Amino acid sequence: MQEATSARGSLPSNRLGQLLMLPGQIVSLLVLVVPLVVAFYMSFTDWTPTHGSLLQATLVGFDNYKELLVYDTRFVEAVVRTLLISTVCLALEFVLGLSLAVLFLREFRGKAILFSAFLTPMMILPVVVGYTFWMLFQSNGPINQLLMLVFGSGAGPQWFRSTPLAISAVIITEVWHWTPLFFLILLSGLNAIPENPVRAAVILGATPRQVFWRIVLPMLKPVIIVAFVIRAMEIVKLFDEVFMLTRGGPGTSTETISLYIYKLAFADFQLAYGAAAAFLVLLGTLALIHLLLAPIRNQLLEARR
Amino acid sequence: MTGRKLTWPLAFVLFGALIISLFPVFWIVMTAIKPPTDWNASPAIWVPSHPTMVNFKTLFDPDAIRAYGVGGVSQAATNSVFGSLLASVAGTVLSVVIGLCAAIGISRYANGGKATPLIILSGRMFPPAAIAVPFVIIYSNVGLIDTYRGLIAIYVAGTLPFSTWMLKSFVDDLPREIEEAVMIDGRSRLMAHIFVTIPLIRGGLLATTLFIFILNWSEFMFALVLSYSNVTTIPVQLARYVTATAGTLYGVQAALAVLAMLPLILAGLLIQSHLARGMTFGAVKR
Repeated sequence: MQEATSARGSLPSNRLGQLLMLPGQIVSLLVLVVPLVVAFYMSFTDWTPTHGSLLQATLVGFDNYKELLVYDTRFVEAVVRTLLISTVCLALEFVLGLSLAVLFLREFRGKAILFSAFLTPMMILPVVVGYTFWMLFQSNGPINQLLMLVFGSGAGPQWFRSTPLAISAVIITEVWHWTPLFFLILLSGLNAIPENPVRAAVILGATPRQVFWRIVLPMLKPVIIVAFVIRAMEIVKLFDEVFMLTRGGPGTSTETISLYIYKLAFADFQLAYGAAAAFLVLLGTLALIHLLLAPIRNQLLEARR
Repeated sequence: MTGRKLTWPLAFVLFGALIISLFPVFWIVMTAIKPPTDWNASPAIWVPSHPTMVNFKTLFDPDAIRAYGVGGVSQAATNSVFGSLLASVAGTVLSVVIGLCAAIGISRYANGGKATPLIILSGRMFPPAAIAVPFVIIYSNVGLIDTYRGLIAIYVAGTLPFSTWMLKSFVDDLPREIEEAVMIDGRSRLMAHIFVTIPLIRGGLLATTLFIFILNWSEFMFALVLSYSNVTTIPVQLARYVTATAGTLYGVQAALAVLAMLPLILAGLLIQSHLARGMTFGAVKR
């Protein structure tokens, strides 16, 4: 890439480059790679904390993995549920975020303040968001009050007692929390679209609708994919909000993958089994991101040069 | 693209969206200033007629907390505020310093190759619940469990992808020629980076620092599984109150939640023009 233009008294440039990378590499090695290796080894054993040291554990080959995929319906359900919640959330967040972003292309007063106000939800920590919505969804809470006002029935629903309502509560919370991220990224993308193709289309007689669907949206595609990838990576790990809202209940009906692994490891102490589940999830996530990124991989790598 | 006026129906839609965006924040702030009798009134009270700061006082008064039947490790919130500050600030400073070195290394010396962005991103894909399992085992063997050192190490590693890529995008924006002019002047490369590169990206450095602080301050799961009695952070304390009282400590919990989100809203507003860059690892710049 760069010519080694060595100035007087300087380190050879590649040595300095390597030296600068070293602290980051050491931290990543110690705090990310080592635990991953330990977890990977553990996932092939039957180790639990009462078995003494991890090295004394019996190797059981792929038993944990087989158990998870073939017999553990709770795991499979958690995976399906997480994918379902993720799909619904991302679709809603995208549509709402894009609509808001398009509205922000118009001229109106107080735009700067409104922009800050719309970003506020994503700045709040997930635990607090979860707790706040837990309060909002109480049977005597404000959401039920409004519902009763509109529909005039005697009592509002018990949000955390029924499966569809509890899942809806999780989805509403998640959409409220993260629509601003889509809004932010898509608005950045819209503002970066060059004026000329748009102007040319208008001169040639295109309607605003045609301009949007045929010119703006295709040019926005890379940004849209970036937004989806970033959000997909985070939402498959969904934990904090659900932990505060439902703890996976009623029963296991809102249990996400992360919540299930957490319960396996820290409530049932099935650490080896939990590690195997985690590796399956990692593989699945990597495959998913790979698929999502495929259309823009070259563009993305170019942009990073 | 821009320039068209907002019509009345659209303004109405925008107004509705604004109400929805801010209502939960309004609710938690209102709950935080409700006296105990208003906490769980039925029908719910929207704006308390006698606003009070008593919930905030209760948070920092062990006797008052115990009067609500909360004891053991889940007592006053003083330790958790201290713990959140310590872990987030130390984790942020280290993450930004290490990330800055790596950012300059990648941007100026082309280390890492083409695949590095994707490898680093994949580090963020692993569910934290899974990494937490080996951590608990390793940490209990090396005596790092329930220590701030242990938590800070995780915060540094967990945010390093963000700090590295956000700072790299700021260094990339800086023309190489500026540094090279100084190098020809006889100063060494390292000196050129310290006296030229870093001062020129100070705005980006500040934005990155605040962004990493937001991430660390919000972290929940690692703090939850790696802390017992010594180490507490605000999110863990909030979860403990909820567990200890089945969530019925409404006003006190809301007060803690307000304390937790105030610094983040402030930091977020300060860096809002850089948020897109931070969240997308530098892929979206403005």
